Amino acid sequence: MKRYLLPRLVQYILVIFIGVTIVFIIPRLMPVDPVQQMINTITMRGAYMDPEALEQLRESLKEMYGLEGGMFTQYVNLWQRLFRGDFGPSLSQFPTPVIKLIRISLPWTIGLMASTILISWTLGNIFGGLAGFFSYKRWAKVFENLAMVIRPIPYYIFALVILIIFAYLLPLFPLAGGFSVGGKATWSWDFIVDVIKHAFLPALSMIVLGTAGWFQTMRLIVSNLVREDHVVYARAGGLPELKIAFKYVIKNAMLPQITGLALSLGQIFGGALITEIVFSYPGIGGLLYNGIISGDYNLIMGITILSIIAIATGTLLVDLLYPLFDPRVRYR
Amino acid sequence: MSMKKILMVFGILSLMISVIGFSQLANLPRNETLIVDVLSGRVGTPDNFNVWVQTWRNPDRGIQQLMLEPLWMVEYVTGEVINALAAEPPIYNEDFTKMTVKLRKGMYWSDGVEITADDLVYSVNLAKNTPGMGYNAQFSLYVDKVYKTDDYTVIFELKEPNSRFHTNFVDRWGAFRPLPKHIFEKAEDPLTFTFNPPVSSGPYVLKDYDPAGYWTLWELRKDWDRTPTGVLYGNPKPRYVLYYYYGPPEKKVIAQVQHKLDMTDLTPETLRVVLKRNKTSRAYRREYPYVVNVDPCITGITLNTAKFPFNIRDVRWALTLAIDIAEHMAIAFDGMATMGAMHIPPTPVYINWYYKPMEEWLKNFTLDIEVDGKSFKPYDPEAPLRLAEYAKKRGYKVPDDPEKIKEMFGLGWWKYAPDVAAKLLERNGFKKDENGKWLLPDGTPWKIQIITGANPSHPAYRNAMAVAQLWKKFGIDAEHVTSEMEPTLVGHGKFDAGGTWPATEPWGGHPDLLRTFSTWYSKYVEPIGKQTNGHSSRWSDPRMDKIIEEMQKINWDSEQNFEFGMEGLKLAVEEMPSIPTVAYPGIVAWDEYYWTNYPGAENPYCQPYHHWPNFKYMLPFLEPTGRR
Repeated sequence: MKRYLLPRLVQYILVIFIGVTIVFIIPRLMPVDPVQQMINTITMRGAYMDPEALEQLRESLKEMYGLEGGMFTQYVNLWQRLFRGDFGPSLSQFPTPVIKLIRISLPWTIGLMASTILISWTLGNIFGGLAGFFSYKRWAKVFENLAMVIRPIPYYIFALVILIIFAYLLPLFPLAGGFSVGGKATWSWDFIVDVIKHAFLPALSMIVLGTAGWFQTMRLIVSNLVREDHVVYARAGGLPELKIAFKYVIKNAMLPQITGLALSLGQIFGGALITEIVFSYPGIGGLLYNGIISGDYNLIMGITILSIIAIATGTLLVDLLYPLFDPRVRYR
Repeated sequence: MSMKKILMVFGILSLMISVIGFSQLANLPRNETLIVDVLSGRVGTPDNFNVWVQTWRNPDRGIQQLMLEPLWMVEYVTGEVINALAAEPPIYNEDFTKMTVKLRKGMYWSDGVEITADDLVYSVNLAKNTPGMGYNAQFSLYVDKVYKTDDYTVIFELKEPNSRFHTNFVDRWGAFRPLPKHIFEKAEDPLTFTFNPPVSSGPYVLKDYDPAGYWTLWELRKDWDRTPTGVLYGNPKPRYVLYYYYGPPEKKVIAQVQHKLDMTDLTPETLRVVLKRNKTSRAYRREYPYVVNVDPCITGITLNTAKFPFNIRDVRWALTLAIDIAEHMAIAFDGMATMGAMHIPPTPVYINWYYKPMEEWLKNFTLDIEVDGKSFKPYDPEAPLRLAEYAKKRGYKVPDDPEKIKEMFGLGWWKYAPDVAAKLLERNGFKKDENGKWLLPDGTPWKIQIITGANPSHPAYRNAMAVAQLWKKFGIDAEHVTSEMEPTLVGHGKFDAGGTWPATEPWGGHPDLLRTFSTWYSKYVEPIGKQTNGHSSRWSDPRMDKIIEEMQKINWDSEQNFEFGMEGLKLAVEEMPSIPTVAYPGIVAWDEYYWTNYPGAENPYCQPYHHWPNFKYMLPFLEPTGRR
């Protein structure tokens, strides 16, 4: 057990440490000056600032943003804050803490992406598994062709088409936002339905393409597994086809898909920028994008560090749970 | 579960969701609600209404337009500075070391507390003494003392003479507006104080907002007549104003076609779509060229005069003469803009204040080069007529009367004279290779990169894209590049040419040009590699310094100030540090389904934008159509 667990824990800590260090360095290599980006945001709509006052403002912002002092000092400060769970203040929304900004957007991202990943993973694996097992059946071929057509469609195009069809031509769903104007965020049936309606199109766009992806992978794995000896033996033994499909084939094909699921769930923290833009849906992708544009080091680091931790944790959990799924690992 | 059953469940679910019914506006009367776009996009901190800090809090989601009133407001369509919370213009002493502000009596915050001198004094002192507050820099630099002499009179004693100190309170975009003393003095930390719920000095109060940042809803105050808007212009008609960010332009088009968005900014391409798809949509002008021609901003190309060869005046003029403005405007804007030859926008008020009085001078202005034995006069008053020909060929309706054409497209621009441009270059050692490409004096190919941001619908991008093509045609290896880091790169002088505005925007509603000229002051020029606080062209001239210094000593309303303005403009033309092309071609789309009487070109009673602070002064004039 120790031989299995310890190296993985060490690897986990190392990945996070290296990841955080890289995330610290990279934004500072960008030729973007967060102070100048802020000044530009304030003045670009025509607000005028006396050049004398501008210089003073520049110094003041540098001090406020904590950009004085060398890289090493800032790096040490970062770790000190991280251990307190504090990512520091956002530079572009100073002095709002980064964690507050993340808290505003993250629930929307988690809600949308976790549900769509789980739904598309489940549907994709079930249909893909069955299509791979019953590959000779007509419906399986139809699904296979459908997946082949859908999967390569660029997400942006697909999302836009869904929006045009269901929010414009057949205006069944809202054009934008997380819930209706005047709606109150409460645990009431009306609010829940309103949120579902607003999330429906973004979710649909991700589920359809996601399902096609999982479908194809699962179908490929299963189509190899069906030729295995144990499957032939099971068939020869007269076991029902569906039982063979689920118990002997799909179950064995699930291992790489579970890893894929864990990694996908870990990537939630990166957000879905294009989804958020097309559907004007709140989320962390847009927050990260604005952070990059404005050179908001703290915001970029906050979101990326969460993402690193999520993916590393997902990978660790998969590693730890693998013995439950794979008796060969358990035995070893 | 079989496929049929799955599809049935999906269908029933969709039907249920749609049948349950939704309205983008739950419980709001649509016929009493004006829905407008948020220009700056999704709000970063939706629960924070404290716009007095040194950060961007999306003031254009209704805060500056509806919630707050300034002391003075610039109105660039009618060319006036409106007394809002101030009862009259500022009063300076002789040497501009003291400024008196008389406040309008009978103005109230939305919680019933009167707006008095205490608010203004407190606001300024708070900003001055709190690093991190907006205007901390300005007030620390200039204000020695601020105090009241009675409840409606405030005196500013300045540390040094400053004839334009009042402009910190003149709202064009982002002025310092008084905050409520009785609220802020209770806040523990004015920097972290969210001012939520806010109290308003303007005619609307916050009704609701989206915690995710996509919309903000405002409701008309019952005591709207205790605000400058109410006193000056009357009862704002919409009971509610909803600022809603739908997303990219195509979403705004869909929203307006569905009558869910009354006022929005668009691109020229999406404007065409919405006009085609929605019978009740209109632009600023009902017909071509559609655009807002009153935007107080001149666009064009900025040259980095700190870098060879842009430091040579002949080269700058050569680059100007290599541009055929009609072709440029055709490529960049499909002709939908107003050309401006000088470093101020050719809006109706500036045309009257400067362009027309200087027209003779422009026509007789010569460059130091001869063509056919005569000094070359580069001004072309026929340029708008050439553009009109292009528009006619495109099938647009354009008047035949030259005066009406000039009203539409501008008074004139610089000649398209590539032969003269070539002469200017050749006398500075430039030459062409065997392929007709220009070489620098050292024999290396002349390459120019024109940098802008990445947004292809922005005028900066369009100007750069068009100019790159025209300079290429002239024989320069010109390339348009985009970068999200453009502000930083340009600010540090790491560029050749850029799409940043060729001159700082003037006031718009006042003829004073110190705002434009002061960024050309030599003391603000920094070497390449260091951030500049002046204009990004890094151009300066001792003659311009003198003009600036003289303007600083006199009242902005004086006749002498006007003359200095003209002198400065002439110098900018002679030196051409940057190339002005067209006035900012604002594209607005208004839906007349629920509301009408917008301030279009045929009825310009005020500025047309919903994101400018003056928007509240438009609202008393809008009329409901009666549709429900």
